[in-house]
Amino acid sequence: MELHINGATVMVDAEPDMPLLWVLRDGLNMTGTKFGCGIAACGACTVHLDGQAVRSCVLPVAAAQGKKIRTIEALGSADKQHALQAAWIAEQVPQCGYCQSGMLMAAAALLERTPRPTDSDIDAAMTNLCRCGTYQRVRKAIHRAANNLQGSST
Amino acid sequence: MKRRTWILSALGATGALVVGWSVLPQRSRLGSPSTMPPTQGDIGLNGWIKISPQGQVILAMPRSEMGQGVHTALAMLVAEELEVALDRVQLEQAGHDKIYGNVAMFVASLPFHPLESEGKQPPTSMRVGEWMVGKVARELGISVTGGSSSIADAWDPLRLAAASARAQLLAAASKQWGVAVAQLSMADGVVRGPGQQAHFGVLAAAAAQSQPSAVAVKDPKDWKLLGQGLARTDIPSKTRGAAVYGLDVRLPGMLYAAAVMCPQIDGSLVSLDEAQAIAMPGVKKLVKLAAVDGSTPGFAVVAKSTWHARKAAAAVQVQWGPRAQGALNTADIAKALATALEQDSGFAFYEKGDAAAAEAAAGNTLQARYAAPYLAHATLEPMNCTARVAAGQVDVWVPTQVPGQTRAAAARVAGVDADQVRVHVTQLGGGFGRRLEVDFVAQAVAVAMACDGQPVQLAWSREEDMRHDFYRPMHVADLKASFDAQGKVQSLRIKSAGDAITPRWMARTLPALAGPVDMPDKTTAEGLFDLPYGVAHQHMAHVATTSGVPVGFWRSVGHSHNAFFSESFIDEIAVHTGQDPLAFRRSLLTQAPRYLAVLDLAAQKAEWGKPLPAGHAHGIALHKSFGSIVAQVAQVSMEGGQPRVHKVVCAVDCGTVVNPQTVAQQMEGAVVFGLTAALYGRIDIEDSVVQQTQLTDYRMLDLAQAPLVQTYIVPSREAPTGVGEPGVPPIAPAVANALFVLTKKRQRALPFVL
Repeated sequence: MELHINGATVMVDAEPDMPLLWVLRDGLNMTGTKFGCGIAACGACTVHLDGQAVRSCVLPVAAAQGKKIRTIEALGSADKQHALQAAWIAEQVPQCGYCQSGMLMAAAALLERTPRPTDSDIDAAMTNLCRCGTYQRVRKAIHRAANNLQGSST
Repeated sequence: MKRRTWILSALGATGALVVGWSVLPQRSRLGSPSTMPPTQGDIGLNGWIKISPQGQVILAMPRSEMGQGVHTALAMLVAEELEVALDRVQLEQAGHDKIYGNVAMFVASLPFHPLESEGKQPPTSMRVGEWMVGKVARELGISVTGGSSSIADAWDPLRLAAASARAQLLAAASKQWGVAVAQLSMADGVVRGPGQQAHFGVLAAAAAQSQPSAVAVKDPKDWKLLGQGLARTDIPSKTRGAAVYGLDVRLPGMLYAAAVMCPQIDGSLVSLDEAQAIAMPGVKKLVKLAAVDGSTPGFAVVAKSTWHARKAAAAVQVQWGPRAQGALNTADIAKALATALEQDSGFAFYEKGDAAAAEAAAGNTLQARYAAPYLAHATLEPMNCTARVAAGQVDVWVPTQVPGQTRAAAARVAGVDADQVRVHVTQLGGGFGRRLEVDFVAQAVAVAMACDGQPVQLAWSREEDMRHDFYRPMHVADLKASFDAQGKVQSLRIKSAGDAITPRWMARTLPALAGPVDMPDKTTAEGLFDLPYGVAHQHMAHVATTSGVPVGFWRSVGHSHNAFFSESFIDEIAVHTGQDPLAFRRSLLTQAPRYLAVLDLAAQKAEWGKPLPAGHAHGIALHKSFGSIVAQVAQVSMEGGQPRVHKVVCAVDCGTVVNPQTVAQQMEGAVVFGLTAALYGRIDIEDSVVQQTQLTDYRMLDLAQAPLVQTYIVPSREAPTGVGEPGVPPIAPAVANALFVLTKKRQRALPFVL
């Protein structure tokens, strides 16, 4: 099966009903995307499918065929981090960090859709769970990244 | 048994058992270079610090990073003393030498009343007790990340180790250059003298041979890093998905195992038919799992991916047997706790004055019964361990808070000596006390033993994680206050009942130290027996029960429910006597200045007493745990019949602060953790089966519901105390007390029901 992951074409040997999460994690050793619940409740497994945030633990890999998959590994690059990653560091968001790949991918999809999100937009989009309780810093970091992105594009 | 008699006899028994009573030598925790073996040309200066050829400082890290910032904070202690930037300190996982044991955590397990040492010389019993437990803990050398104790424990020995290394480097330069140490300076990893300079890597070999005469830690006025809100060093990798948690370990030829345990706690595996499962694609084998180190029996399916393993595990035809000792039901346990409370006098952790006489003479009394449910930890990374057993050598890669107990458990299961086991500690996707257990390690090693030397990653599903936790124990408490004719509170009596955790945990993870009878466990009564309020007559007791439910340490442990009981009841007394909850607490804190300062700071920053938006109310709570005092003021309203916490002002006195940024993070996280429990948290058990299985029925607070938390720190030069847990206990009573203002209904059970 042919997948488009982070700008590359990747051949994977997987049953069509295997969730994308496990193809990434166990098939391709791309462990940045996390398993938390397996029922799309926590969002730790969030990736982008054609720019939309999806929960990969319940997404059969067959449904990702022909679409652009983007994971945390390609949110930024080694020499240029994404504005959200910079904001995450500036606001010192993560604690244990386990949910943060999913948080960042959900936030990135939000900013692509809504470059200047309000608090309500953030409330609605950021339904990922964080057991360490980093929520208020997530909110601040999204606003910070949005401001920085706007500043750099004008 | 009198409390002091018990403490001394318990310590005496433990000490004699462990080390022989007469031999308790003075032991430094400096260690020697041999306790931290060199790699790649590094040169060790003591058991904690090596210098690389490039002059980097390499620190032996015995504590686990689970989001509390300990890897940054301990590195800061070393960077400060060695005059280097934080990024010049590299971490290397510490070995199992006893110098890395956590002494502070064991000393803190003594049930002393905090006001026995407040502002005066501690009594002899306290000093002797702490000395003896410190000695025993030093001899045992058990490395634990828990009890909010990492900084308190490392504060003296680690700074001393770094100061000693500094003195050695200076002594080496002094000898090589023939100049007095006083003429040398140290900055950015370089020693400078008149006309000469050398970086640490150049001086390290000579430093290792030098014997500095005097070693002293820096004066706080000279600190450059301590007290600064430095960015945590583990955060950048966590924004790239690059941090390696237990589930992210990948090894050549690795297999994946799905664990399935009997749904009934302590049930049994009667029979299974694996034929269909084994025939499924990618499946290698099935391994039965015995009950070990507290686990419930079951089986694991090994396959080429976690998904293949789980899919096949669901296809196994299995017959489970019931719990042999009879079914567990939370409804029955709640009744049994109430009966125990009424029929058993329990163990008195604290007595002052004569509460019975005060009650008999009282004009009126106030009584209330409070309750708290079982709770699961629900770390976002479910339990897992990767193990390889090959040629008598065992390797485990595991997110754990107890590397030594992990090593011992792996050795027990594999039947090898502990020194044949290597423990590789990964990042922890949450700990909260769940990873103080070794059940999943024992399972993983058992599975790896059946895999012919191939590494295997055993991973629990969320459902298994929820159903096979070591739960915070259910507790019930009766609280009673009596008043004189003027309405002044004369006595306070608290009696609670519930299971003790420590003896069960010892039996599971330190079986050699588990005693034949349970000693009174401070964690049951902490937060009840140790209140700061100046009430003349007090009697605080706990009835230890044995429900059969596996119980464990849950972030802030006994304080997590006991603060809800005590600080809600204090609020009840204020209301009963017609006093403002803040003013009432203040009136009882005249002998407890540190508590008073924290309370006042929170009240002042929250503008207690000033008008709030319509429909909003403030609630306040004050609680000391893990050595630190925290006060919180919660601003709450009712929205659609449910509580909405808008803002929490949090004041904390945790002694000297290493990193205020981390303190704020921990207070914010603790509020969310405690609020999640107060609003939603309960584990129900029916016919021995935990009814909650997922993050949908064991609900978590989400971003939209999360309050704004503002943290204020009381400046202090006292020794540092805990930060990871003390923010949890006050939030439930602070919110409950606000809810009373809003609804006139007193919340006496968790989670809240409105």
